[in-house]
Amino acid sequence: MKEIGHASFNRRLAINVGGGFVPGMNAVVMGAALSAGRLGWEIVGIRDGFDGLLYPDRYPDGGLVTLDPRWVENLDPAARGILGQSPRVDPFHVRKVNEDNMVEEVDLSDQIIEMLKADGIDGLISVVSGRGLSILYKLHRKGLNAVCIPRSVENDIVGTMVSFGFNSALSFAIEMLSRARQAAQSAHRIGVVEVQGEQAGWLALQAGIAVCADAVLIPEIPCDLDTVAARLKDKVTPRRPWGLVVVAEGAQFVDKPQVQSDKPSANSLKDSLSPLASGDASGHVIQRSGRTAETVANRLQLLTAEETYPLVLGSWVRGGPPTAVDRQLGLGYGAGAVQALKAGKNGVMVAFQQPPNIAFVPLAEAINKVRTVPADSEFMQIAKSLGICLGREL
Amino acid sequence: MKDQSINPSAPTGTVLNIQRYCSHDGPGIRTTVFLKGCSLRCKWCSNPESIRPKPELAYDPKLCTGKKECGLCLKSPFPEGAFYVVDGADDKIRVNWDLATDCDEATVSLCPTDALYMFGKEMTVEEVLTEVEKDASFYRNTGGGMTISGGEVMLQPDFAAACLQEAHNCGFNTAIETAGNVPWSFMEKVLPHVDTMLHDLKLMNSERHKKWTGVGNERILENFKKAYETFPDIDFIARTPLIPGVNEDEEHIRAVLEFIRPHKNVIDYELLPYHRFGTGKYEFLGMVYELSDFTTPSDESVHRLQAIIDEAFGRSKKD
Repeated sequence: MKEIGHASFNRRLAINVGGGFVPGMNAVVMGAALSAGRLGWEIVGIRDGFDGLLYPDRYPDGGLVTLDPRWVENLDPAARGILGQSPRVDPFHVRKVNEDNMVEEVDLSDQIIEMLKADGIDGLISVVSGRGLSILYKLHRKGLNAVCIPRSVENDIVGTMVSFGFNSALSFAIEMLSRARQAAQSAHRIGVVEVQGEQAGWLALQAGIAVCADAVLIPEIPCDLDTVAARLKDKVTPRRPWGLVVVAEGAQFVDKPQVQSDKPSANSLKDSLSPLASGDASGHVIQRSGRTAETVANRLQLLTAEETYPLVLGSWVRGGPPTAVDRQLGLGYGAGAVQALKAGKNGVMVAFQQPPNIAFVPLAEAINKVRTVPADSEFMQIAKSLGICLGREL
Repeated sequence: MKDQSINPSAPTGTVLNIQRYCSHDGPGIRTTVFLKGCSLRCKWCSNPESIRPKPELAYDPKLCTGKKECGLCLKSPFPEGAFYVVDGADDKIRVNWDLATDCDEATVSLCPTDALYMFGKEMTVEEVLTEVEKDASFYRNTGGGMTISGGEVMLQPDFAAACLQEAHNCGFNTAIETAGNVPWSFMEKVLPHVDTMLHDLKLMNSERHKKWTGVGNERILENFKKAYETFPDIDFIARTPLIPGVNEDEEHIRAVLEFIRPHKNVIDYELLPYHRFGTGKYEFLGMVYELSDFTTPSDESVHRLQAIIDEAFGRSKKD
């Protein structure tokens, strides 16, 4: 048993957060720290991904933060994460300037594992996105005891019903769609609002249902804009001279409408905050972030002769306070990760398969998959029952 | 100092591409040899495939016929977990770029549609020159020749020097494009074989240079100054990739002019207005385009800044 200060610990863990902001990260840290404290374990937070470990000199208070339960329980779970994040969290490709002043990417994965060992840390809890799962899986294969907590505003990580951050993004999207709907009603136009969802349409579908949108276009159902236009022509009448279409950024089209290629996106902020979602090379991941709304709006205006306007929520959904659901999830996920390590599990992702039941999914089963909306999803059925057009006659 | 050059013994070099009929990389009609490896990380880079020093996997989903028709890459000898398919609208292959790092050229070549391919290959000096010699008649008629570009040409100094020397032996004009962020010893090897050196002066303020490219510019400026002085017979052409919000300002242009003014062998200063053509390539490589919000400079802005350069070079307008 190790003595640190006046306390004694029989195990030492670390926790860090991968790139990509979602609100309420402190809840996860609190959940892990309080749960570890109950077991008499010490837990330290690594600042800014792995940077606190690799570059401790950058931090006047040290790159590792001891998460004493007596201090942690005073944190606000809704506040911005105390550990921070690094935009790039990949120890296999760490960018650095070498002794010859040349920029290069080097593999520091072995060094990180050794540093953790040297610090007496025998388990790492990482709050990561889908790509982060692959990186932690690689580290796990090299011998690191890793437990991941899924984080995604698109809820596209398989193995869990809900990823941390999704519910907050959903709530914000619903609020914004309500405003877009009011604007459409006021202006007698058709609003086309793009929300996040490169490969999975959960955010668009659930938010679209919540505001009773006229149509919801998601990547899982390649849509026929002629069908959408026909439905809008039926619904947009002199008595109801407005419409609302929700489109996921990765929406697919049967007739491949010409997406703008050479001019800046409708919402350039979106591109800058979500760079992976840009570009013109990918035929299946995403056509054009921030431009899908513009493309759909232009096309529908042509087909319906009704005025349309595009809006892009983009990365705005990542900000703001966490919802009650995400606060609970964060605490639960944090505590669950410690329970995994207590149960001798590592190389796993904590999952809520039937909340509040926590499960531990092997990382190998969580990577290389995308949690898409199945055709027989209850949400699909609800949307159809409400008369929401899903882009095609189903 | 340890030797940081990629191919110190120079029997071969890592070549990204050889492009024929180029007209903007030096005088006349030229063949441009692009080498892999770069020592800067410019956030607007439109050639991400040239950054890493070694050959690397790339994937063009448009060429993939999908799991049902093919699916070869989902089995051995392709690395486990490197490729996968998502349930949904199509059955095209996705690449797990974190697990596909062990894919070698032999394995990648098994892809029947070339959706998977490698950026970059090892070539000998002879192989490069065989390709370059195909357009020898154009060079003779136009004063053109071979240009070596990158990436950063100076990161393979022995290979580059050998190629340039061989081109000279064939009677071809030689040129290089460089950003100059290498030890002087690398430049010293290459420059004796160069007729024209096109060199970037991206930002004259070192702090800003570091912000946008990853390193300060002190050594770059020192290298260029030394090159102007040590190799008076080379025609030097300064260049600035013009990026709105980064260096599209008079202050930068005037600072460059001030820097090159004392050196009569700097025969021109060119502006290269930023374009977005390269952004899609990042997805071919599974790389993140760090800041895709750059816009292209306006014609008005380019003309205004060009007028300052023309005035400095005693031209009434750009010829």
